Amino acid sequence: MKERKGFLYYFVRNRNGMIGLIGVSIIVAIGLIGPIFIPKPDGYTADILIAPCAQHWLGTDNLGLDIFAELVWGARTSLYVSILAMLISGVIGIPLGLLCGYTRGWLSEVIDALIDIFMTLPMLPLMIIVAAIMGTSITNVALILGIFSWPQLARVTKNSTLKIREMPYIEAANCLGLSKPRILFKHVLLNASGPVFVDMTLVMASAVLTEASLSFLGLGDPTTWSWGTILKRAWGQNAVISSPNPWWWWLMPSLCIVVYVVCFNLLGTALNDCLNPKGRE
Amino acid sequence: MLRYLIRRIGRGILTIFVSVTLVFFIVRAMPSNPVTLMISPQMSEEAQQALMVSYGLDKPKSVQYVLYMKELLHGNLGTSFSKRIPVTEYLAEKLPWTLLLLAAVMVIVIFVGIGVGLFAAAHKGKLADRLINIVVTMGISVFIPFMAFLLLYIFAFKLRICPTGGAYTPPKGAGLSFYLDVGKHLILPAVALSITNLANAVLYTRNSMIDVLHEDYIRTAYSKGCDSKRVMKVHAIKNALIPTVTVIGMQIGIMVGGATVTETVFSWPGIGRLVYDSVNALDYPVLQGAFLVMAVAVVIMSLLTDLVVAWLDPRIKLGG
Repeated sequence: MKERKGFLYYFVRNRNGMIGLIGVSIIVAIGLIGPIFIPKPDGYTADILIAPCAQHWLGTDNLGLDIFAELVWGARTSLYVSILAMLISGVIGIPLGLLCGYTRGWLSEVIDALIDIFMTLPMLPLMIIVAAIMGTSITNVALILGIFSWPQLARVTKNSTLKIREMPYIEAANCLGLSKPRILFKHVLLNASGPVFVDMTLVMASAVLTEASLSFLGLGDPTTWSWGTILKRAWGQNAVISSPNPWWWWLMPSLCIVVYVVCFNLLGTALNDCLNPKGRE
Repeated sequence: MLRYLIRRIGRGILTIFVSVTLVFFIVRAMPSNPVTLMISPQMSEEAQQALMVSYGLDKPKSVQYVLYMKELLHGNLGTSFSKRIPVTEYLAEKLPWTLLLLAAVMVIVIFVGIGVGLFAAAHKGKLADRLINIVVTMGISVFIPFMAFLLLYIFAFKLRICPTGGAYTPPKGAGLSFYLDVGKHLILPAVALSITNLANAVLYTRNSMIDVLHEDYIRTAYSKGCDSKRVMKVHAIKNALIPTVTVIGMQIGIMVGGATVTETVFSWPGIGRLVYDSVNALDYPVLQGAFLVMAVAVVIMSLLTDLVVAWLDPRIKLGG
């Protein structure tokens, strides 16, 4: 219990961490509640490319749709994609990392080589091909992101398992005759969870970046709003370099992506600092 | 040393092999058939079949795979479906542009990134360092198209000093004016692409420089009577650069293919854009060739990185 209290004590006093936490909470709130009150932008209206005003807070696009509403729906997509991607990469990466770190012998070698090779594969081009094969749906994009981000998580799990494997309490658990899965999941994983947890927030941040990249390249879901999809449409209409410039159209989704990623990164770094006794300054 | 090199090259070849194999089977899982894109509806059933045979697509996948690997060992990457030219020729046309872009990124990252990182370390905790820290945090999280949009908006749209895309103003010229023209087209994509790396380089250089300055050997150097300039130059910077070099090396290798988005935004005729175009054209041979190039790039860069790190840090004994 003492350890836990210590963590909260440091976390509350970590300014970056609190900024990140508040930012993440706001995004989650918008993504969950926003779409209930704001109808999904669909079809077209006559109010084409209106600059931000009282009626359209963040202006409208070339179909006369409200950018603010698109962003709110995009927040939900981003959350959905990043949570699903994080869960999938966790389901694949954590057990593999545990096995690789805890066992000795050929299994550990094979997993280690697998992680190494996957870390050096060109991920984005591979994802582009797989996305083209699987077809464009937001769940597919999340699946692809999860399947391709496990090596990083596996490596972090492995490294922190390696340290715990040598601890006396693991030896004690072995002497007590506890079953392998019980030792792995209850004793090793629980104690290794700090860095793993931190890495999962970072996976969520990079998932949104990659989702936006895929959507921007036209491999996203055309039936849902995502920040990348809005950017793709703005880019397709030459919004960045056309005159008069509809700056709100390309600037606002970009800012949303940056804020989302910065908040998750800040949160992850702060968690890392607070869980790691060395980082508490 | 020799044993180390053999082991590293062995692992590199394994990586390339896995990458090539994976891509071979992934592209063949695509739901549509490349031949359907090439044929017109008037074509007879036999003509379609003949086309399939001429591209070797009528054989079972395992046979196709063995044939492909055999040809690969002879340096033959096949013929592009869409362009009808040898893949090696097609890649050779695109690769220099990607290498040019990467070289520009590397120059920016090494000179600006390490410079700013050292500056921040020297002013640790002061206002300048804290400002740099904020910018770096943003830089690591930045969405590359956003960076590209901002640069385009400011330099191509508002100030009109840079072109909006492409690698040169057609028609392709020659001589000095052509190089200047390419240089002008190169600036914006290079800056956009280098942001994430730049931020990483600053961060790693700063943090490792701060750590290194606390090391015993730095104190020893001072107590030997070295002046601070010499301590920095001979003892501190060389050691502090090790993590930076590792990170930059890995990322540059991955960027050969990772530049897809940047190359698309700026219509830069490199490998990344080639991948994107080839997916849409279902051009299997070109995709396979492009992935081969990317895998080779990653392997070469990681080997180079290890050698540079070993040179920087005499404590690391390769093959030990």
